[in-house]
Amino acid sequence: MIQTDSITRVLFEDFRPSAIRLFYVIGFAAIAVFCWGVYVQVRKYRRGAATNAGGSVLSRFTEMVGTVLSHRTVARRDPKAGAAHRLIFYGFVLLFIGTATITLDYDILGPLFGVHFWHGEFYLWFSLVLDIAGVMLVGGLIYMMVRRGWMRLPKLDYARPDRQPTDPDYDRSGYRREDWAFLWTLILIAFTGYVLEAVRLVWLADRADVWGVRWWSPAGAAMAEAMRAGGMSNAAGGIVRQNLWWFHGLLALLFIALIPFTKVKHIFTAAGSLMFRDPLAAQRLPRVPAEQKQAGAQYITDFTWKQLLNLDACTKCGRCHEACPARAVGAPLSPRDVILSLREFANKTLESGTLPPAAELDVHGKGPGQVAMETLWSCRTCMACVEICPVAVEHVPIIVQMRRKLVEEGEMDPQLKKTLQTIHKNGNSFGESRRKRAAWTKALPFKVKDARKEPVDVLWFVGDYASFDPRNQKVTQAFATLLQDAGVDFGILYEGESNAGNDVRRVGEEGLYEVLAESNIETLAALSFKSIVTTDPHSYNTIRNEYPEFGGTYEIQHYTTLLLKLMQDGKVPVPRQLGRRVTFHDPCHLGRFNKGYEAPREILRLLGCELVEMGRCRANSFCCGAGGGRIWMPDPVGADKPAHNRMREAAVIPGLEVYVVSCPKDLTMFEDALKTTGNEGKFVVKELIELVREALPQSQVETAVKMSPTA
Amino acid sequence: MKILVAVKQVAALDEDFEIRADGKDVEPDFLVRDLNEWDDFSLEEAMKIKESASTPVEVVAVCIGPDDADEALRKCLAKGADRAIRVWDDAIEGSDSIAIARLIAAVATREAPDMLFAGVQSSDHTFASTGIATASLLDWPHAAVVTSLTYTPGANTAVFRRELEGGVLHEMQIECPAVLTIQLGINTPRYASLRAIKQAAAKPIEVLTLEDLGVAPMHVGESGSLSRVRRMYIPEKGRAQMIEGSVEEKAARLAQIIKERAGGAA
Repeated sequence: MIQTDSITRVLFEDFRPSAIRLFYVIGFAAIAVFCWGVYVQVRKYRRGAATNAGGSVLSRFTEMVGTVLSHRTVARRDPKAGAAHRLIFYGFVLLFIGTATITLDYDILGPLFGVHFWHGEFYLWFSLVLDIAGVMLVGGLIYMMVRRGWMRLPKLDYARPDRQPTDPDYDRSGYRREDWAFLWTLILIAFTGYVLEAVRLVWLADRADVWGVRWWSPAGAAMAEAMRAGGMSNAAGGIVRQNLWWFHGLLALLFIALIPFTKVKHIFTAAGSLMFRDPLAAQRLPRVPAEQKQAGAQYITDFTWKQLLNLDACTKCGRCHEACPARAVGAPLSPRDVILSLREFANKTLESGTLPPAAELDVHGKGPGQVAMETLWSCRTCMACVEICPVAVEHVPIIVQMRRKLVEEGEMDPQLKKTLQTIHKNGNSFGESRRKRAAWTKALPFKVKDARKEPVDVLWFVGDYASFDPRNQKVTQAFATLLQDAGVDFGILYEGESNAGNDVRRVGEEGLYEVLAESNIETLAALSFKSIVTTDPHSYNTIRNEYPEFGGTYEIQHYTTLLLKLMQDGKVPVPRQLGRRVTFHDPCHLGRFNKGYEAPREILRLLGCELVEMGRCRANSFCCGAGGGRIWMPDPVGADKPAHNRMREAAVIPGLEVYVVSCPKDLTMFEDALKTTGNEGKFVVKELIELVREALPQSQVETAVKMSPTA
Repeated sequence: MKILVAVKQVAALDEDFEIRADGKDVEPDFLVRDLNEWDDFSLEEAMKIKESASTPVEVVAVCIGPDDADEALRKCLAKGADRAIRVWDDAIEGSDSIAIARLIAAVATREAPDMLFAGVQSSDHTFASTGIATASLLDWPHAAVVTSLTYTPGANTAVFRRELEGGVLHEMQIECPAVLTIQLGINTPRYASLRAIKQAAAKPIEVLTLEDLGVAPMHVGESGSLSRVRRMYIPEKGRAQMIEGSVEEKAARLAQIIKERAGGAA
């Protein structure tokens, strides 16, 4: 090996000074265009509303860096795309650092301090690393091209469910061209880099300090060997190098200049979006500040700068599009298209020097870039989109904030309007008298404590469906019996309970939500209890995550964790082994929202059930279709429903006996879907509580009552 | 240009209600109160006229009732009414629909609106007479059960349709000012969001007394009414009875009942 300091890469060898000057002029121009683009984008985001992301910037930054470096979110549910993106990312980053190193040596340290380090052994290792980085980049890009061009993945199909082909903004071929231009530009830059390296080697093959160390650039060297074998002379190499150098250089500078104007900007916007992610984006919806006159988002400027950044972070990967239950049944909603529509709208209105008049900033409607009310009302707020988004786009709060505006205007389904009025009047969505809330207790052989009158250990927040729906009342009674038998000191609020408000808030009726939350918190404040339990994941979510902002902080658990504890502690007797083949449906608000995946599965194991998971389970569970207030809105007649889609998924499990749920609304939705999909008789839908009751010996309370002659 | 909309805070029965000790009304604890459904439509009709008018139109809601009737008025303010007036005095308690009409007419005289809307009836007492009685007391033209209305603010006349028996419609023209009682379904009432209702709480409700209106206490309440509630009761139900026993016994009992009834009629 030739160990001399003269080993380095030639940069401007044989260039006329004017050519070098020209290159620098173009380089600075590219940087200027880049900076201008960044300024325009930042100005766009700054036109959004203020928001306080909270938390320390440093911890947010480190978490973001961790997410980016690990590619954790990019690889989820698509490990191959994740791996390819990782190759592109690391290849690109290494090549970027490499180029920056040359600049540091040649343009900064050299001219200013006369210090040069980019030669000798350091250069050789540098050369090797960059050659490998280039291979990684090209490899990743080729996979992405194959994926786009030949795999025909449905999530990369830009067909819009929320537009007709005749609508002016239906056509997404612009995005498709941009996708391909992006891939081709990068691969051309990388590939010409190798060719350039190869022809340089051929051109300088006579120089030992170049040719002698050629294998430190293995890809370039192999190509050079091939060129020489093919008969390329040193001089020919030199000529090709001279021309290709400009092509490669200009293409790279063009790429840099265009970053803020193209999808390439996701390098920055995705990182920014990840950095300002809200881990409870869907679980805890934003409050409307008391001094704010308008509720919800009407104009593009009503979104926060963070939401505007979200819009630009989207890379159209289609994971939300794939996960969305509304999209799956043909409803006019794709979370991806909501984000892209608003992005197009923001680009159109907020990138110019002056802000257009308010009338042109209205995001509601059917015009280009606007979001139609049918789209907004199709959302189940199930959080599947937010959960899977690799770049932390938070669709649910965006949709709910737009719904708040629709609610203010009364632009909603008549049945929903009626239900909201009913909830306001009666405190429940069933339109029943408050006095009837605890009517289900009358069938019990024991009295359920009134927590308003005496202290209890466990306060049971029952919720509307569990209280009033006749089918769910059976489950509610079974749970009461379980608690009583286990000797739990529990009580309920009787008519003091109001709808917890989870779904009212997700509908966008923020004022009514405030009334409900404040009323429940006021009731609870006067009572003595240690913790809250509920069988309703919806109530669980809002009490757990949203009541604290209204001054109600409690220890609350879903019944599955309490029941598991009682079983593990022996308070609930060892159950009979049921030996059933079951599958478990994770309720959105228990699973995805609050990560309660394990307790119900552990209970099923204790019951001796064989759990066969559906393809979509845990974080990827598929909404029953009732969320976000959709349970109060009729589904279009004849259209497919999310619950039907789910039933078909369960039905393919061979020998399935029980479809287990742990949410009152799920029980209602899926028992109905079981019939309408023709699966009745094949398997049954049951609440987990019912399975537990079935596996236990006769209830002690019930037996005691039956044996007592006075009963 | 002004439209006066007469509204009522009605009472709906809760489950398992009880009759008040004096036997003339339901125990108030068992009543759920709300804005009368018909009034939702008459207010909406006024709001539609206001919103489509080229000249300013003032919509004023008026309600005769105690403090808790403010809730009904707030709903009207939340939906966009410009002002709200509530009339109350303890002497008004026990008024029949004509006495209430006397008060509304007094408010109309004071406000001098171009139109007065009322619901066809209230869902609790169902007299369907307050609106028409008001017209009579004002000596204004009137029309009941209006199902569609064409009216340009400031015009001397309005054209409307009313429902008649057998699906027949009456299209009529009326001189203004007039009293129209509005039927359900004439429009789609807007939704008053809770936020709007809360914001309406900050708007003033003008409270008028009998003195303000120049109505003597003897002209309202029981003394000013020509009809009075004697008692309120739940009619006996369940007159059917199961006949038990063998076929012969059942037949004999049936024959006996028929004879008793037939005998009574004869």
